[in-house]
Amino acid sequence: MIDPASTTPAPLGPAAGARPAGTGPGGTGAGGPGAAGTREQIDAAIAERRRRRERRERRVYRAIRIGSLVVVLAAWQWYGMHSISIIFDPITTVLAALGHLWTQGGLPGAIWYSLWTFVLGYLSGLIAGVVIGMCVGAYQKAEAAVGLYLQALYATPMVAVVPLLSIWFGFGVLTQELIIALFVLFPSVVTVSYGVRNLDADLLEVARSLRMSRMNLWRHVLIPGTVPYIAAGAAQGVAMGLVGMFIAEIFTQLSGLGNLLQTAAQTYHTDQALAVIVVIMTLGVLLRALITVVQRKVAPWAK
Amino acid sequence: MAEQAGARAGVTAAGSEPAAGAAGPAAAGGGRIECESVYKWFPGGIVLEDVSLAVDSGQFVCIVGPSGCGKTTLLRMMAGLAEPDHGRVTIGGSTVTGPDPRVAVVFQHFGLFPWKSVYRNVALPLQLAKVARDELDSRVTEALRAVGLAGHERKFPAQLSGGMKQRAGLARALAAAPDVLLMDEPFAAVDAQVREVLQEDLLALRDRLRQTIVFITHSIDEAITLGDRILVMDARPGRVVRDITVPIEQPRTISQVRHHPAYAGLRDEIWGQLRQSAIDRAGDQ
Ligand SMILES: Nc1ncnc2c1ncn2[C@@H]1O[C@H](COP(=O)(O)OP(=O)(O)OP(=O)(O)O)[C@@H](O)[C@H]1O
Ligand SMILES: [Mg+2]
Repeated sequence: MIDPASTTPAPLGPAAGARPAGTGPGGTGAGGPGAAGTREQIDAAIAERRRRRERRERRVYRAIRIGSLVVVLAAWQWYGMHSISIIFDPITTVLAALGHLWTQGGLPGAIWYSLWTFVLGYLSGLIAGVVIGMCVGAYQKAEAAVGLYLQALYATPMVAVVPLLSIWFGFGVLTQELIIALFVLFPSVVTVSYGVRNLDADLLEVARSLRMSRMNLWRHVLIPGTVPYIAAGAAQGVAMGLVGMFIAEIFTQLSGLGNLLQTAAQTYHTDQALAVIVVIMTLGVLLRALITVVQRKVAPWAK
Repeated sequence: MAEQAGARAGVTAAGSEPAAGAAGPAAAGGGRIECESVYKWFPGGIVLEDVSLAVDSGQFVCIVGPSGCGKTTLLRMMAGLAEPDHGRVTIGGSTVTGPDPRVAVVFQHFGLFPWKSVYRNVALPLQLAKVARDELDSRVTEALRAVGLAGHERKFPAQLSGGMKQRAGLARALAAAPDVLLMDEPFAAVDAQVREVLQEDLLALRDRLRQTIVFITHSIDEAITLGDRILVMDARPGRVVRDITVPIEQPRTISQVRHHPAYAGLRDEIWGQLRQSAIDRAGDQ
């Protein structure tokens, strides 16, 4: 598969290079200042060739991705068709269940509800995490004050505090938000404070030599320097937050996707359960992609 | 070539204006650096012992010495980034107690903020000093042109070669129109050819700007090429063991230096001193 794909364009390469090279001598023949023109043309030819190669590579990767998706889906279908429906279902059945859930099972409402609780819990957890993480990372006094508790809580599996939270705050939306926020909070605190602490010491020295005020230090150095870590924390937070969301919904049995999944599983509607899982996966992937897009917008210098 | 030289001449005018406003560093001795019996201890032992030296305003001094002899420590004290444990450092007659706006530092690893474009990196000291928008723009543009970075304003440091990064670092230092430029192995991180080009450009620049420059290097050739004077240091404890005046007239070019009758003798003299230090140290172990 791959071999012919990578060898076929090879003869194309020189051909592409030959075209600008062919115009090159024409340019020099035309007049004196041809030298600059030729160099520009060569640069352009090289850039063009690199673009072609990148485009070709991108095509190859896309082909691999699509191929692997086809293989996985086919395997799923095949296995589902040869399995008992309580245990596993083929894609076609799952898609049908998805359609059924969408029209009659209240899937849109569940997605809407879950997404809202997730977004609220996620954002509050992330914002708190970034603020705490930056303070703890930047100020040793803050670290001394709360570092121990943060580490203890970070080491505690958050699932363990879920029952307590529902005792304290009931089985309502607030509890769900809190659980999601807590799941997002700790990874982002750890990632962000690590980021602040690992800022390039040279840059801090530059900041000192420029006599930056504390305000300017935050504005020009600490915050922008931590953006890649904030982005990493945010991406990690999506995964953790989704876990929190599920646990919250399954535990509080209120509504949303987790509840839908729980109901489907308890009534042995495996196809519906799989359908909900597909929805969740898709949500997770989309949310992470969104984070990446935001990161590129906010911090184009960090890959 | 001619265009570049013209650009440099242009900068000079703009670059020296603020300096002239500050009564002119060379004339008023605003850039004079003095170290008076400076000592520095670190947990590992004494690093600088009784270092006394004076650099005249507008002088270009190179410091060479074995690794770990305290060159960076000395420079950081001049920059106000470290404090002497004993003795004092003065610039323009006043004791250094912290980073000073009359002093600009060029860092070995460039010290550019990756999240700022070249323009914004160079503009930062002026922005912090609340320089008005128009003046800021013209000073940044001139500084960038002076170091040959015109046209690269919008690039980010990651898009620059090592040589260009250090040009940007130099432009940032120059934009602030300091009386004193402190450079700690500024060209050590770029390859040999680029390094020579940077040296040529620095020679051309300083010939017009006339800042006091303290320049740390490990390269004897570089020290002779650039310096009016060379301080040779020895380690354990760190101290200045030679103070050599380079008898090659300014302005110079690299090839003039290489073909100067004094060149080989100077090289031997410095090398002899450094080798002696190395032999002494090897004997210690
Ligand atoms: N913050 C510090 N704490 C402890 N020791 C230090 C510290 N800074 C420097 N030193 C020690 O002081 C000595 C001099 O260091 P310095 O960086 O000034 O040397 P240098 O001459 O610049 O060396 P190099 O040529 O390698 O850059 C070294 O032995 C170093 O280990
Ligand atoms: Mg050093």
